[in-house]
Formats: sequence, structure tokens, C-alpha cells
Amino acid sequence: MLHRYPRLHHGLNRLGWYFLTFVVAITINFFLPRMGPSSPVDILMSKASSTMDSAAARNKEETYLKEFGLAKLADDGSILRDQEGKPLKASLLSQFFNYLLMSARGDLGSSIIQHPKKVSEIIATAIPWTLALQVPTVMIGWIVGNLLGALAAYKRGVFDRVFYPLSLLISAIPPFCFGIILIYIFGITLRWFPAMGGYDDGLMPTLSWNFVVSASYYYFLPFMSIFLIVLGGQAIGMRSMCIYELGTDYVKYAKQLGIKESKILMYMFRNAMLPQLTGLALALGTMVGGALLTEMIFSYPGIGMAMLTAIQSSDYPVIQGCTLLITVCVLVANFSVDILIGFLDPRIKVQQTSGKGA
Amino acid sequence: MLGYLSPCLTKQSSVFLLVLALGGCRCGGNDQIKKGQGSSDSATSSSQTKELPRQESLYIGGIQWGEPTSFNPLNDSAAAWPCRTPNKLIYETLFEFDTFTGKLEPLLAKSYQLTEDGIEVTLQETATWNDGRPVTAWDVKYTYDIGRTNKSAPISAVWDYLDDVKVVDATGQAPEPPEASIVAPYPLKVMFVFKQTNKNALRILTSIQQDLILPRHVFGAAFNAAGGDFQKLVSLKMDNNPVGSGPYKLHSYSAEKIVTERHDGYWGNKVLYQDTKPVPKYVVHQMYNSNDQYSVALQQGRLDIASAFIPRIWLKEKENVFPWLKKPPYYEGSSIPMLFINVKKPSLGDVKFRRAMAHAINYADIRELAVSGYSQDLKSGAIMPSGVESKYYSAEDAAQVGASVYDPTKAKDLLKAAGYQGVFDAKGGLVETRDKNGNKMPTLEITSPAGWTDWESIVKVVVKSFRDVGIDARERFVDANLFWSIQPKGEFDLLMWTPASETSPAQPWDRFEFMLGNQGIAPIGQKMWRNYGRFNDPKDPNYVKRFDELLVEIPKLTDEAQRVTAYRELNKLFMEQQPTLPLVYRPEQFYQYSTAVWTQFPNGENPYAPAFIPGYRGGTKTLWRLKLSAK
Repeated sequence: MLHRYPRLHHGLNRLGWYFLTFVVAITINFFLPRMGPSSPVDILMSKASSTMDSAAARNKEETYLKEFGLAKLADDGSILRDQEGKPLKASLLSQFFNYLLMSARGDLGSSIIQHPKKVSEIIATAIPWTLALQVPTVMIGWIVGNLLGALAAYKRGVFDRVFYPLSLLISAIPPFCFGIILIYIFGITLRWFPAMGGYDDGLMPTLSWNFVVSASYYYFLPFMSIFLIVLGGQAIGMRSMCIYELGTDYVKYAKQLGIKESKILMYMFRNAMLPQLTGLALALGTMVGGALLTEMIFSYPGIGMAMLTAIQSSDYPVIQGCTLLITVCVLVANFSVDILIGFLDPRIKVQQTSGKGA
Repeated sequence: MLGYLSPCLTKQSSVFLLVLALGGCRCGGNDQIKKGQGSSDSATSSSQTKELPRQESLYIGGIQWGEPTSFNPLNDSAAAWPCRTPNKLIYETLFEFDTFTGKLEPLLAKSYQLTEDGIEVTLQETATWNDGRPVTAWDVKYTYDIGRTNKSAPISAVWDYLDDVKVVDATGQAPEPPEASIVAPYPLKVMFVFKQTNKNALRILTSIQQDLILPRHVFGAAFNAAGGDFQKLVSLKMDNNPVGSGPYKLHSYSAEKIVTERHDGYWGNKVLYQDTKPVPKYVVHQMYNSNDQYSVALQQGRLDIASAFIPRIWLKEKENVFPWLKKPPYYEGSSIPMLFINVKKPSLGDVKFRRAMAHAINYADIRELAVSGYSQDLKSGAIMPSGVESKYYSAEDAAQVGASVYDPTKAKDLLKAAGYQGVFDAKGGLVETRDKNGNKMPTLEITSPAGWTDWESIVKVVVKSFRDVGIDARERFVDANLFWSIQPKGEFDLLMWTPASETSPAQPWDRFEFMLGNQGIAPIGQKMWRNYGRFNDPKDPNYVKRFDELLVEIPKLTDEAQRVTAYRELNKLFMEQQPTLPLVYRPEQFYQYSTAVWTQFPNGENPYAPAFIPGYRGGTKTLWRLKLSAK
């Protein structure tokens, strides 16, 4: 019956695959951090145990193990032990099912190292920084890059000869490296812009005019460090696509028909746009896990930093929370592209209908 | 198509710009910090403050790393600055340890008396919490009793040495919290009763200058509200205008900074500071991501004082950034990074081999190449030759038996005497080390956390030194996480660590105890959180009983001359046995300040306060002496 609705069939089919990918991904997210030989409790102990004698320290370790669900418990809540009196570790499988159960309820648990902070709280604090850093830069970079790329393809001449190699150069620089160069020149040597931070040290984050002005001023360097690179990359892609389109039969035919140039440009732009659009969706999807190094060098407490801290201390719940978020974002972005393309690209539309309908 | 897309997209991006503006907006302050119960003076007006005037704010950094999670001093793993010991801006301790004289200076308590049975502490009569209630002996007893009944509380460790904490001049039972009001006379004397089976005055003295005293009426009420569940109490954030006794109050916080505001009614202004107030109205702790950023912020005058490792600090003078001392070593060391030795390995169990290693190391190279010259010359033994410990240090003993002196020839001789010899190739590179039977000795690995760059450099110098004299050694840099598991299990040959790194009345005993303490010694593979190398196991044939006797004896001594003798003996034994390899000296904080906005910071020439960030231990004093820069 679904065959009569090829698009719906296509969508459901993709959805199935994405769900499978999701299950595999969260399984890996759970087991991978735990495969290493280190344990967050050891890290907590190294902080807490300096003035304790051995018995007190052992006591403390058991409290931690119990609190974070890492020890095997008897029915009365006491810790089960082996013959030597050492506490038994809870099995990975039981921890995994516990994790699945909690995730299904939307509970990401709480951090071990930053106990008692909830993982959701950590993510909620970090995500605005990451989004603020990346969404505008990627969006504006994408728009301006595509416009300039199309312009370069259409105009050619001096503009293209300067713009194209420059774009190549800039897009090849890793963002963090570019960021450091910007900081060095404009933040430290010239001191035109602040070298790090999100807004003036003396301000409280409020919706006041002063704050918005200050935040924009501080935003300039991190914005540029990503924006220019996105711009360069997009422009190169758009330029090549447009040059290709300029040589196609339909453009030649349209020209011979004497169709207005702006109309031809419109057609051309629409066709050249498709892969660029896919690129944008993917960029927005991977963005969440993206700019760790940019966050580091500009001292932005975003998701990248949160994850780095968590990985450095084997803080399992936080790692899981962040990777889950990234997984979901990437999958949703991919899925949207899959579906969108079906609507936007007439070739794929035909394939779907003819392929399934036959 | 683009004409249709772009306006909508730009609108969208302007929305996101707004998100950016709100980026750091999760400020605990303005919306969340409510007026505390009975809070009197400036709380209401100050919480309106949206901007901190630079001329009234002191910016500090380097103590809190990462976003603050909790302001509950009972949460020992997550409590943030300034509610984490030894920071004393909001909560205070009974005493302050003076790092210059080694004496306990008054804070919440004005005096103490050390007797055979315990330590009797007398509180200040005028000390109050910032909600106006008096600080009483009940508060002190309550704070310590938390650790008595809850083994996971940070303050529980000291109960190994305590029999009881008693209110001495009790005028009946303390009322149930929250009490309506407390009227004089309320008790002001507390007795810390020694546990006679485990008598240790040093641990108690350490505790009374380190453990923050909590208001009973607030924590007691919170405990009751939590249904008597201690874990629930610990998980409270306590960020809602916390009631402390200190000179500042929590103003607001976010992921980037924590702001405290002067408490003008601070009791200590009158008693401790001749009726003056701290100069900066706000003390702001900034959180950055790396040492480099602290360095840049100092040079640009965005930070006034910070604890961060900044290489080649002498070059920053032109940017008005100064360390404690104007010339090398720039900082005064107070702790000793060293190599712990796993004595259960055949070669490392041999004292001759250990002493050969001590002679082999090029200590000057470590100082100059690895730590930017920030260390005095290393002396043999495990007592600091300068500062408050120096009275226990004997240069004569060091000259006599000390082996921590770079002398490759002597190292080779000792190695030969131990039955080991290096085999070198034609170019002089070491091939392997052979023991007396001609068998190859397994390569010694020196374990250190990966990414701790100064330690990595130290280890590289040691490896080169060892190989030069014929000891086959290599670096083993492991992920920091893994390091925390390796360390207590003793799964290493040699391991970098700084034992008992904090200055306290218990030094240098605490350092020795950390290196040599063998109570509950665990076999390799099982965990113990001190003496990682399992030195002086009573079951070992090389067991030296005198170590244990001295470690038990010293904390009981009250006579200074006896103490000096005992420490000399202990240090001499240490030098003879060389159970660990001290490498360099390190300050408790890398103290540097900028004079762009504030001046009169204490330094080596004007040491009116110790080399700590204001608010950290005795560094609090600095706040009353600062002046605005004329520039």
C-alpha cells in the first residue's frame, strides 16, 4: 500500500535505517568511554584522599562507587564484596540497561566529577555558546560565500583571478590556526579587539544596550575566524558549480532562445544550489560537536570544552550526554537532507516515483 | 531563489546574534540570588548592580578552573571558589597559618591552648555570620560533628585522631536549628579531645586552619529539610546568598566568572584590621581555558593577580606583570615534586641503586630547562631548606649523607657496587644495563601524566641523566586518567608526584608521612593513596623500624628542640635510604600580579602577606592594603 505513496515509503525506509544507526551509535557511546582502563572514581579519590589514612580512603572510595552505581549492591543496599573484602563492580551490561532506561525517560543522569550537577544542565549551559559561535558564522558565511562564488563564476576577469586563489588559501587554513593568527595580530599586537572571553569582564549578562555592544565587540574575532573560512569554502564550491552550469546545454539553449539573462541566472543558480544546500544542512548538523579548538582559544565555555573536560576525567555520563546530542544532531541533519533533496531535486523525485512504482 | 531566501536568513541570524548576547546569561546572580533570611544591609541594592566599575573590582584567576557547579563547602569534589578551602572570603576557618612564622594567627578563634588531652580553642566574642547571628562554639561543634557521623564528609578524616569535640563553657544544650535568636552569653570555647590511641596534634592543628566553619542554623535547617539525608545535603548548591562569616558575599556567577561583593558589616574589620574595610568592593574570579589566556589577561590589565604557570616571567615586567621575587628563582618553593620508587622491583629495592640514581640526576638542568628557573638549588633530603621548615634542615647532615648531588662518577661507582653496569655502543649511547649475573635489567619506566608539560620536561632530563651513567630508563607518559589508576595501585617503576603539597602546620611531617607511611600497606595491584612505592613494608627484609617510630613520635612532641632533633634524624635516615628522588622545588601558587589598576601587592620586598592570591589562606590580608594605581 505504501507503494502508492513513494515519498512516504522513501521517508519511512530512511527513518528505519536512521533508527538502526542511532541504536548502534548510542551503544558505542556507552561502551567506548568505559573500555579504557581509567575510572572517574580514581580521579575523585586523587583529589579527596590527601589527608586520609588508608581505612578512611577506602571508605570514601566505596561511598563514591555506590553513589555512581559502579558497585554491585545487595538487596538491602549494602555493597557486595569478594573474598578479600574488595567491593564487586557492577556489570557493564546492567549499567547499560540502566542507561537505556534512563535515556528513554529523557534523564541523562548527573555528572560524576561535577557531582551533583545534571548532565542536561551542563549541556544547557554550554549549548548557547556553541550555537552563538557557530550558527551565525556558518549561515552568513554560507550566504555570502555562495553569492560571491556565483559572482566570480559569472564575472570572471580580475575579480575571479584575485578572489579564487584567496578563497582557496583561506579555506585551507584550519579555523583554530586562523583564530590564533587573528588573536595575535588584532588581540595582542594591535589590541583592537579583545583576545578572549564573551563580553566585558565588568558586565553582568543582561539585555542592556551596553551588554549587547560589548558582546558584539568581543564576538568579532571568533566570528571572523570561522566566517572567512566557511566563506572561502562555499565560494569555491559555488564557483565551480556555476561554471559547470554555464556550459550546460540548457543554458546554451536558453541563451539561443533569447531568454533574459537574469532569468537564465536564476535557473542556473537553482541548479548549482543543490549540493550547497546539502552542505549547509550537514554543516549545521555537525556544528554541535564542531568548534572545540575555536572554543578553547577564545575561552568560550561551549559544548566542545564541556566534552573535553569530561573526556579528560572519564566523566561517563557527561561524555554520553554530549555524544548523544551530537549523534542526534548529525542524524537529524542527514535525515532532513535526505528528505529535502527528494523534494528539491527533480531527478531524485523521478527516480523515487519510477523506481518504486514499476 | 536567493532573493527569497536571504532576508529570511538574515532575520534568523539576527535572532542568533541575540542568542549570543544571552550566551553567558545563565547568571546565578541577578535573578537567582535572593535575599538571604534575615540578611541585613546591602544585599538588595547590590543585586541590582549590572556593571562592576573597574576601579572598585579586583580581578583574580587560576584557582577555579571550569564552570562552577556548587557553592556547598561540604561537596569536596565540586565546591567552587570561594566556598572551597583554603579560600576564606565567604566561609572562614578558626585560624590562619602564617607561612612566614609557622604560627597560627587568629581568625574566627582568637587563641588556643595545646594540652596533653587536646586543643582548647577560644572563639572571638564579636564574630558574626553575614546574617547578623553570632558565631558560637555550637557552630564549631556542629561543623565537626558532621564528619563524625558521615564518613563521606570532607571533615571526617580528622576524626581518626579525635575522640570528641566538646563545647566547654556550655550553657545548656544548643537549641534546635533554626533557632529564633541566640542571646549572650553563648559558649565560645571548644575542646578538641585527642584520640589517645592515635594521638596527633599536627593533624588537629592542620584541621583548625583548613576546615571551614559552617553556620549551624543554616546547615542544620537544611539537613532537617533534607530529611536527615547527608548525600541530599551535599547535593544542595548553596548558591543562594550563602551565610558565611567572611569579608565577602557571593554576588553572582556564570560559566565565565564568579563575583563576590564586600560585606560591609564584616566582624573582622574591627577586630583584625583596625576598623578598616577591604579596598575592592568586588573580588571577581575569571575562568579561562589555559595558562596562556591568564598570561595575556594579566599583561592586558584585565586580570590583577593570578596563579598560573607562565614561562620566562621576567620578560613580562615591561607589561607591568611581576612575580613574587624580582630575581631568580622568582617564586619561593614550598613543596617537592619527586619520583616515587617502586621498591618491590629488584634493582629499585637496593639502596645503593637508589642512591646511584640520586647522584645521576642533573638537577641544574631540571631547574633551568624544565621549570624556567623557578626553583632554588635542590638540597638533599625531604625538608625545605628555606622558609618555615628550614629550622629542621641541617646543611651539615646533607653534606655528610645526602645523595641528591649531581655527580655522574659517583653514580657509576655506586651502580657498580650494586652489581649493575651500563653497556654502551661505539658512539657512547646506552644499549642496556646488565646486573651482576650478566642479565639484561628490564628498562626502567618513569611514569608521568601526558600533557603536564613541565613534568614531561623534568622526566626527559632525568631519563637523559640516567642513561648517561648507564641506567636503562625511558619516559612513560600516560593519559592523566590512567595515571590516577596506576598511582594508587603501584603499577610503575618510577612515578612523578608531589607529596602533601600544601603548606600547613603539619609540614614537613605530613610530607614524610605521605612518602613513608606504611599503615595498611597494600600489595602492588591493590590501592593505597600514599607511599605509592610501598617503601618500608614491615614484611620486607630491609624494613627500618626507626622510620615508623619517628613518624609516630614527631606529632606528639611539644618541645621545639626535641622536634628539631627528631626531624634531623628522620631526614638523615631519609637521605641514607633514599626512598624517593626529590627533583625540584615548587611554590604552592605561581603568584604574579599586574600593577595596571591596583598596586601595593605583597611581594618578596614587602612581604606583609604570603605569596597567595587574595582570599586564598593568608592572602586575604592583601585586600585591606591595596591601593589604586596612579597610572
